[in-house]
Amino acid sequence: MKRHFWLIRREIWESRAIWVVPALIGALLVLAALFGHVDVVLSNVSPQRGALGGVLLFASGAVFLLAMTTYSAWYLLDCLHSERSDHSILFWKCLPISDTATVLSKLLMGLLVIPFIYFAIADLTTLTIAFVVSVRARSWIGASLWNPGQWLQLQVLWVYVIATLAVWFLPVAGWLLLVSAWARRALTLWSFLPPLGAIWAERVFFGTSVLAHAVTSRLFMGYPGDAFHDFQGSIFALAGFPVAGRSAAPGDVWSLIDPVGFATHRATWIGIAVGVALIFVAIRLRSRSVEL
Amino acid sequence: MAPVIEARDLTKRYGAHVAVDRVGFVIRPGRIVGLIGPNGAGKTSILRALLGLAPYEGYLRVLGREPFHERAALMCEASFIPDIDVLPGWLRVDRALDFVAGVHPRFRRDRARALLGKAGIPLERRLRELSKGVKTQVHLALTMSIDARLLVLDEPTLGLDLIARRHFYEALTEDYMNETRSILVTTHQVEEIENLLTDILFLDKGRIVLDTSLDEVAARYATVAVGAEQLSEARALRPFHERRSPGATVLYFDGVDRAKLGAFGDVSVPSIADLFVAKLSSGPA
Repeated sequence: MKRHFWLIRREIWESRAIWVVPALIGALLVLAALFGHVDVVLSNVSPQRGALGGVLLFASGAVFLLAMTTYSAWYLLDCLHSERSDHSILFWKCLPISDTATVLSKLLMGLLVIPFIYFAIADLTTLTIAFVVSVRARSWIGASLWNPGQWLQLQVLWVYVIATLAVWFLPVAGWLLLVSAWARRALTLWSFLPPLGAIWAERVFFGTSVLAHAVTSRLFMGYPGDAFHDFQGSIFALAGFPVAGRSAAPGDVWSLIDPVGFATHRATWIGIAVGVALIFVAIRLRSRSVEL
Repeated sequence: MAPVIEARDLTKRYGAHVAVDRVGFVIRPGRIVGLIGPNGAGKTSILRALLGLAPYEGYLRVLGREPFHERAALMCEASFIPDIDVLPGWLRVDRALDFVAGVHPRFRRDRARALLGKAGIPLERRLRELSKGVKTQVHLALTMSIDARLLVLDEPTLGLDLIARRHFYEALTEDYMNETRSILVTTHQVEEIENLLTDILFLDKGRIVLDTSLDEVAARYATVAVGAEQLSEARALRPFHERRSPGATVLYFDGVDRAKLGAFGDVSVPSIADLFVAKLSSGPA
């Protein structure tokens, strides 16, 4: 446990971008709130204050979520390659840290630590924006942003999304780590050409597209259906919009997320199995590799 | 006592190239062994196999462990850093100490700090900002602050100035070495460590050319400078190597009675460097 703590610290020391990138995004959003056209926003205030606050919260959250997934993917793809290219792998290997512990620490960084750093900075940003906007507008719009109920809902949603995405993207993370431990160069190409080749081969030789569906579902459309009762509804309800055909109790996050469904869905477990296998291969590759 | 290192038929291939070819040797506790060989002899490959950094073929036990599969456990009791180029440049010196202290049960952080302090090394600098010599000092401070049963040093003083070298070897013999520890050291500066070593392993083209203790070297090997008129007579005693020097030919003998050699001139024990050159130019023993 103590070793894992130091391994995580090491990663954070090494890549300042882990917190610099979200901090910059946060700073830009706060600047926008400071100098942007608040009056445009204000014209709509009275009927849907709650909605407006929710949209702001959610929009800034979406920006962070996008940046977080991109950065995490890049981090996982780069981490085992960069230690080989700068030769430092030999230094780390001369310390009593197993390859398993090392690879798992990188996995933990990409799937949980980086997301939670983004989450913390996103939170700080929304609170700052809420403060700035309410001061500038001298209005109650800020109050909806400060609305503790909605804010807490958002926290629950973030934690749920981070936790379920970590499981959902386990096979993707495993694949990126494997490529990172194996490829000598052209990491990006290696990360997507073999899957594309396999999809193409399946289509040509078997005339089927099972793999293509599995990959696209894993990367794009599968997650929301797997982890939420109604994903679209979640977004709108959380943002406070009345949704057609629904009583739209604004932001009742508990009724929207579907942890039991997620934990019992077949796709979740297939993903875990594939992920574990890929991570195992990545660990084996790391134990045999020295500097490039 | 059980050997610290035991190797039999140790082989390392890179594709078709055989870098280490069925090498066997034993290192016992309390010894300081010099692994000496020209560039490309297979020293680095052997060191990497010994420390579990790369897979190998053959039988190998280091501190009773199979290095490749038990690397992490082995590294608790062995101390080695290949060279200064593997130190992560982004890491600050003080954080390097923190990290190693955090993950290594036998790292003595106070000792490392003292060593760095004595050399006047700034702790808050990143490793990439340091000069080669200073980096080497950090490297040595880290390796020497691990209470290891086996210390492996690969060209340890490369890039150090004369004073730093002297300090290093003093620290090594006076503070570090004791009868439970063993040191395996490779270097091209053989003269520097000649007085330190208890044993030598000569390596050439992936094979061991000589594996002996220094006591045995003194007993077995002898050199005599012979004038031209006695040369053929001396050659009859079958020297394994000859070297021309001004006004004489120096002949190298293995296991020849010193009394017989005395007839040709002053008999002396060859230095390790001389023996190394003689052995390598005369082929395997």
